[in-house]
Amino acid sequence: MGKLRFYIALWAAKLSIVALKITRHNGTNFPGVLALKICPQFLKYAGKPEKIIAVTGTNGKTTVCNMLLDMLTMDGIDVLNNKMGSNINSGIASSLIYGSSLSGKCRYKVGVFEVDERSALRVFPYMKPEYLLITNLSRDSIMRNGHPEYIAGILDRYIPETTKLVLNADDLISSAVAPENSRVYFGIEKMPGDIKGCINLINDMQICPRCHHMLEYEYRRYNHIGKAYCPVCGFKAPEYDYAGINVNLDDMKIDVRDKEGTGHYRLLNESVFNIYNVVSAVALLREMGYSHQKIQEFFEKLNIVGTRYDEEHVGDKTLYRLLAKEKNAFATSRVFDYISTLPGDKEIILMNSCQGDMKHWSENTCWLYDCDFEFLNRADIKNIVVCGPRRLDHRLRLLLAGVSEDRISYAEKEMDAPNKLKLFENDNVFVLYGTDSISLGMKVADKVLGMMKKGAGNREGGDK
Amino acid sequence: MEGNIRVEVLFPEIANLYGDLENIEYIKKSCPDVEVVHSHLTEEPEFMKRTPQLIYMGTLTENGQRLAAEKLTQYRDKLVSMIEEGVHFLITGNALEVFGGQIKDADGTCDCGLEIFPIHAKRDMMNRFNSLYLGKFEDIDIVGYKSQFTHSWRDEDASDEAFESLFETKRGPGLNPYITGEGIRKNNFMGTYVIGPLLILNPPFTKRLLRDMGAGDVTLAFEKEAMEAYEARVKEYSDPNTGFYY
Repeated sequence: MGKLRFYIALWAAKLSIVALKITRHNGTNFPGVLALKICPQFLKYAGKPEKIIAVTGTNGKTTVCNMLLDMLTMDGIDVLNNKMGSNINSGIASSLIYGSSLSGKCRYKVGVFEVDERSALRVFPYMKPEYLLITNLSRDSIMRNGHPEYIAGILDRYIPETTKLVLNADDLISSAVAPENSRVYFGIEKMPGDIKGCINLINDMQICPRCHHMLEYEYRRYNHIGKAYCPVCGFKAPEYDYAGINVNLDDMKIDVRDKEGTGHYRLLNESVFNIYNVVSAVALLREMGYSHQKIQEFFEKLNIVGTRYDEEHVGDKTLYRLLAKEKNAFATSRVFDYISTLPGDKEIILMNSCQGDMKHWSENTCWLYDCDFEFLNRADIKNIVVCGPRRLDHRLRLLLAGVSEDRISYAEKEMDAPNKLKLFENDNVFVLYGTDSISLGMKVADKVLGMMKKGAGNREGGDK
Repeated sequence: MEGNIRVEVLFPEIANLYGDLENIEYIKKSCPDVEVVHSHLTEEPEFMKRTPQLIYMGTLTENGQRLAAEKLTQYRDKLVSMIEEGVHFLITGNALEVFGGQIKDADGTCDCGLEIFPIHAKRDMMNRFNSLYLGKFEDIDIVGYKSQFTHSWRDEDASDEAFESLFETKRGPGLNPYITGEGIRKNNFMGTYVIGPLLILNPPFTKRLLRDMGAGDVTLAFEKEAMEAYEARVKEYSDPNTGFYY
């Protein structure tokens, strides 16, 4: 009965793909949702690629997945993936439906799948990756993910025992999952700008997992990410199998050293977050047997994904469109930290109220007090426009972070926020939107862009 | 009086989820002379040497709950005597379960609290409960959130005098979804599942707590802006069109 259900589900889902194409609704999860509705064990029976690589973790998994996908494609491999769908079981089911024949046989030899870390329980019982890369585990949505120990517990329970893990040694939470599994570790050796103490509100690895005394760090990047040790019992973080060394942000280069040699790589972005992404991708590809030389060639041709980071210059001004995930204090803190390191005077439109939640209830704003708004308390951040449904909460949070009242502007609707900008000479304007306000964020950014262009035009006209 | 107020934060290295430690930062910003001391897991708690005006503990992981309960077991008698003497406690999120009895997991395992209050909790790690909260503390509206894997029940043989409810719920669940009584109140012990952080989201309650602690009639940090956010939230949560469950 199970197999018959599976075929009915597969064919119905295949038919739905045709219908979606006709109605121009490509790239949705609907086929997977339908298949799972008809056959809840669809993933068990669906044909899968011979070699499966999965990427999970709280932050960076989409970027790493896209990098791996692009690089394997550059190598001439036709890779099945869930880039166009979601990273939960229905998105993966949709990918398998797209990639299979009517008999259910998978047409791809290799698959790269981004797997939502909380969905591991619905995916890994049916799909056994050869490699699983875990970027990191940190706080995410309070409602959905609770806390990182909870997510680590899910991964512990559901990661298949045959899967080889590629783990971040600088994250003591994710590096400890599934201790019986075969594993390699990546990390980044001490680099300029490292600190020892924690300057962030979130610090989820403060005590030694063995003796519960306070951990110390040889070096720390942010939050609990760094090289930790216990001065009391001698516990220490795992050694790196793949070590990022010689980080050079002037030339945007990094070396990755492993037991067989050292490769020289191009960095795609100067944020530490993305440097980890590069090292993790190199580690995985090295495990797959690619040479440093080959991976270097791939990196030379890579670009970072546009919807997460984008900048545009208009006259003397620059517009930055940046994703700052609402309800994810850890990721948003990284964005705030990143902005604080950039040179020049700045203005920010802060529009990461959770639009989705406002439709049926009201956002849980606890995350604001896990998030380092203190990074925005800087003299070169001249104006922060709060707007949208949670503007009063954002204003209070900024004030408590030490941002002075005269640097906070206020607009009820997001589309009115650009009118509160000062657009001064050499201004850098950041539009920060959340995952469910990307299109609204683009509209707001377009309005800012229009104002910048108009201003530049007026100045040119005036100069004549 | 303000200069003599000491707040002891229990185990901030593990009891720090969901912005809860900012409750104490808000007190500190509102009353800069308040002394805040941190007691860590591997040390003797400060309350064994000097009795503070307020003991605070915030939300923990499930492993954190075990560690906190294990640590505090040896100080149970002192905690009970401080509660009887009227020392203020503010215990938020699942930290309140540490002061109760068993925490029974759906997987069959069980953790033990300090058994100071006759409650027990039921935990289901596969089903997270999320809601908004609207209730009353005496004549003060209380707003906040619930986001938890557990609910608590009063033990069947518990006397009515064992504790009162801290808040009377208007919308959302109480200690469990079947009752309107939320939290635990005994003398000046206040324990609640409501997070927010509670003190930042509820300035009238914070002013009342500080006054009861002997800080006088304090003007809170950014009180005007905090009140505007609070009043908007009370209005929003009182609107029957606002959904309450995630």
